[in-house]
Amino acid sequence: MSMSILKKDSPVPENSCIMYQREKRFAIIIFVISCYQLFFLPFQTTCMPKFNLNVNNKQYTVEAEADMPLLWVLRDLLDLTGTKYGCGVASCGVCTVLMDGNAIYSCQRSVGSCVNKKIITIEGLSEDGSHPVQKAWQKAGVPQCGYCQPGQMMAVAAMLEKNKKPSDDTINSAMSNVLCRCGTYHRIKKAIQLAIEEINK
Amino acid sequence: MKKVQIDRRHFIKISSLSSGGLVLGFTLPGLQALAIPLGDCEFFQPSAYLKIDTKGKVTVYVAKQESGQGIDTALPMIVAEELDADFRDVKAEIAPFGTMKPGEHDTGGSQSVLDMYNKLRNAGAVAKAMLISAAATLWKVKESSCAADNGEVVNTVTMQRIKYGELVCAAAKLPVPKEVILKSPKDFKLIGKSEKRSSLKDILTGKTKYGLDLKVEGMVYAVAARCPVLGGTLVSVDDAAAKKVPGVLKVVSYKGTGAPMHVRAGVAVIATSTWAAIKARELLNITWDEGKRNKESTDELFKTFASKSTAKPQIEVYSKGDAGSYDGKNEIKAVYAQPFLAHATMEPVNFIAAVKEDGCELWGGLQLPDWAVDRVSKDCGIKKEKIKVNLALMGGAFGRRLHFDFAIEAVKIAQQFDKPVKLIWDRVDDTQFSPYRPANYHLLKASTDDKGTIAAWQHHVLGTPIAFMTDSPETKNIGEMDGADHGFCYAVPNIKTGYTPVDFNINRGWLRSVDICVNTFPVESFIDEVAMKLKKDPLQFRLSMLENRPDFKTGEGPGALTQSPARIAGVLKLAAEKIGWSAPRKSNHYIGLATHSFIFAKAYAAHAIEIELLAPKKFRIVKVVAAIDCGVVINPDGLLNQMEGGLAFALTQTLKGEITIQNSRVMQDGFFSYELLRYDEMPPVEIHVVDSKEDPGGVGEVGLSTVAPALCNALAAAGQRPRNLPIRNEGFSWV
Ligand code: FES
Ligand code: FES
Repeated sequence: MSMSILKKDSPVPENSCIMYQREKRFAIIIFVISCYQLFFLPFQTTCMPKFNLNVNNKQYTVEAEADMPLLWVLRDLLDLTGTKYGCGVASCGVCTVLMDGNAIYSCQRSVGSCVNKKIITIEGLSEDGSHPVQKAWQKAGVPQCGYCQPGQMMAVAAMLEKNKKPSDDTINSAMSNVLCRCGTYHRIKKAIQLAIEEINK
Repeated sequence: MKKVQIDRRHFIKISSLSSGGLVLGFTLPGLQALAIPLGDCEFFQPSAYLKIDTKGKVTVYVAKQESGQGIDTALPMIVAEELDADFRDVKAEIAPFGTMKPGEHDTGGSQSVLDMYNKLRNAGAVAKAMLISAAATLWKVKESSCAADNGEVVNTVTMQRIKYGELVCAAAKLPVPKEVILKSPKDFKLIGKSEKRSSLKDILTGKTKYGLDLKVEGMVYAVAARCPVLGGTLVSVDDAAAKKVPGVLKVVSYKGTGAPMHVRAGVAVIATSTWAAIKARELLNITWDEGKRNKESTDELFKTFASKSTAKPQIEVYSKGDAGSYDGKNEIKAVYAQPFLAHATMEPVNFIAAVKEDGCELWGGLQLPDWAVDRVSKDCGIKKEKIKVNLALMGGAFGRRLHFDFAIEAVKIAQQFDKPVKLIWDRVDDTQFSPYRPANYHLLKASTDDKGTIAAWQHHVLGTPIAFMTDSPETKNIGEMDGADHGFCYAVPNIKTGYTPVDFNINRGWLRSVDICVNTFPVESFIDEVAMKLKKDPLQFRLSMLENRPDFKTGEGPGALTQSPARIAGVLKLAAEKIGWSAPRKSNHYIGLATHSFIFAKAYAAHAIEIELLAPKKFRIVKVVAAIDCGVVINPDGLLNQMEGGLAFALTQTLKGEITIQNSRVMQDGFFSYELLRYDEMPPVEIHVVDSKEDPGGVGEVGLSTVAPALCNALAAAGQRPRNLPIRNEGFSWV
């Protein structure tokens, strides 16, 4: 029932059954179901499917419905809130993460489709801001509100992983799907050039 | 150098008898006593805006909130300058809400730097004077033989140095000086030099927490289904299917509110995750009573504007000479129109509320938290003193978070659940249920004389005032009239400006650059149009009506603002010069100009835009040149970022931004239908800054208003003048 991560200090409710106890009138039903599960379903200990995920080179096990988008798994269950929500429908790109080195919209991938994949989020690009893209962003002073920037940087990181010397057309097509309402495109343009210089040094 | 008398009542001492130390705290006008942690002389706090600890670290308490404008860097720079501190030791913190006088936390209108400049300079100077005085006592020398330098006091005779941190305890025991000396702007070391944002690293590593990223103990998630028509009510809801979605905890409904925030009636799904709530909302089966006003449309609204535009304006805003008597004489006439617009902040609005029996605690981004608390109290029946607000960082605001409809909603939902609830607006909610920048319509008439100058100027503005929503359609105080009331800056002998408000059933609010932007597009387009008809150079034509005109007040009373035609002319000349207005142009290349003042924030900007015409209605923006005069520039890098971003924001609404309404419903539902400017559409831009020693102005909004008219003037020069925004509606396309 509830979607929860199997981690001790998780702020997310551990088990939906606890949630349901609030509604006293359901308590008995829950009790009956629990007994049923205990005696008849010894191998099914929770109500949700579990998924093993590799995020930022760490192994996580999450309990979630199979159709929950990776975006909400990262944000709500793993508390990796560096990946942003902007639209949920593939129209803004701010949720971009790397999956096996490719830029993907995390709002468009169900958790079920992410098993056995290597996922890198902004938190894993580098913890200390030392990735060439982060360094370039720092140098160009790109962000305003900063909200879209994780998505922007992940899109660039993915592009540069494939192509160290991208043409303007390649850059345009990689970047034109990541929106910035603050309008920092002018600086993103500069920062991309700085990052290209850095990785080709 | 400037001597400033310090009113010591504004620097209140807070003393303590705690062991071995005395801690001083000061407040400036507008501050309530601030609780200061007292200890064994942990720090010296010369004002509530400023704290210096024994390690010499300076904390500037800023009551202004960051949403991308860069005040987290600009404001500490101002303090550090007068304090002569090492900027690396200075950081800004948002003062907790509730520690300040009501209104101090209001953030908007490009006012933060304006509002804080002198206060922060005084605070820095007072602290420095006390540190110097403490050092002088220690060394038994005169204060005049001590000087402050980069976080230390220097004995100018012996060249001995001592760090601020070592002086704070002694300084704390001294009286507040009666008078301090402020630096002359020419001696500034820090102000005027580019500093990178102090918050950059956290943003770039994904550590920054915006409102939507916050989690509080035990929190659950909610999304709401809202009545599609403003003012409608809930009849019934069948939530059986929704409740079956795993993770759903409860479905609750709540009533709408009227003015000022117009919360819509809604049904909220509360769940253990955002996704569960989103999924379950789809399964709600709701019957709404849409009310009587469910048939309104923007098509009809613009027809109403058109038919009323030729009648006498309902409100006479400004009149000089006898413009009416020129009606029909040698007249040039044009109509301009602009649609409703949405803020579309990248972080959609969201809010966390935890309601307990004896009050509530709130978390979220609010530009006007005091008003929000007042209304939450009234609309949700919670005592004001029992509402605790924790302000959150905003992923863009642009005026959207001046409204707090979402905060009232969150509290109404949380009142029905015994855990903290985070209300999330998805992008569809954000696009369809926001307060919109008002739609507007302009009938302009200019009568020319035989000298080829404008003899009479008439401007009839028709709009859908915000005050009709925040107050009521019967309001006596319409306030903003789409900029009609801010003074026509060109010297014309006969002027008449009128306004006609039209009621419309959609919520309205303030959008970045507000009514100034609304007014600048028609005025700067039409002045250009008149110049072209008269076969005059649009630059010289404007300058002839600006350069010799002295500053003037836009009205009477303390609220009157000052227009400075000379500064408006100054930025125009600079932009024109830098783009090469008088230089020969390539064939098919055209330049358009526009200038204005963002009068509320004492800032002036002009744009010059060069286009290449590729087909009769197809163009490419070759280059954009902006010129800005905003007095003393605190952080040039921050200024440039605001101007670049302002250009992108303005191009969105010039080229494609538009909210349309049918059957009282917003027709757009996210970024596919409410498109924003994209990376590959950003033109090359260069920004030139007028060197000025005037007090600083605000720069968050000044860079928008002249973009649309400059581009449209370029298109007009190329052969076809757009008079309606977005220009895509007139068949224009761009590469
Ligand atoms: S949130 Fe995924 S593309 Fe917008
Ligand atoms: S920096 Fe604010 S949305 Fe991009």
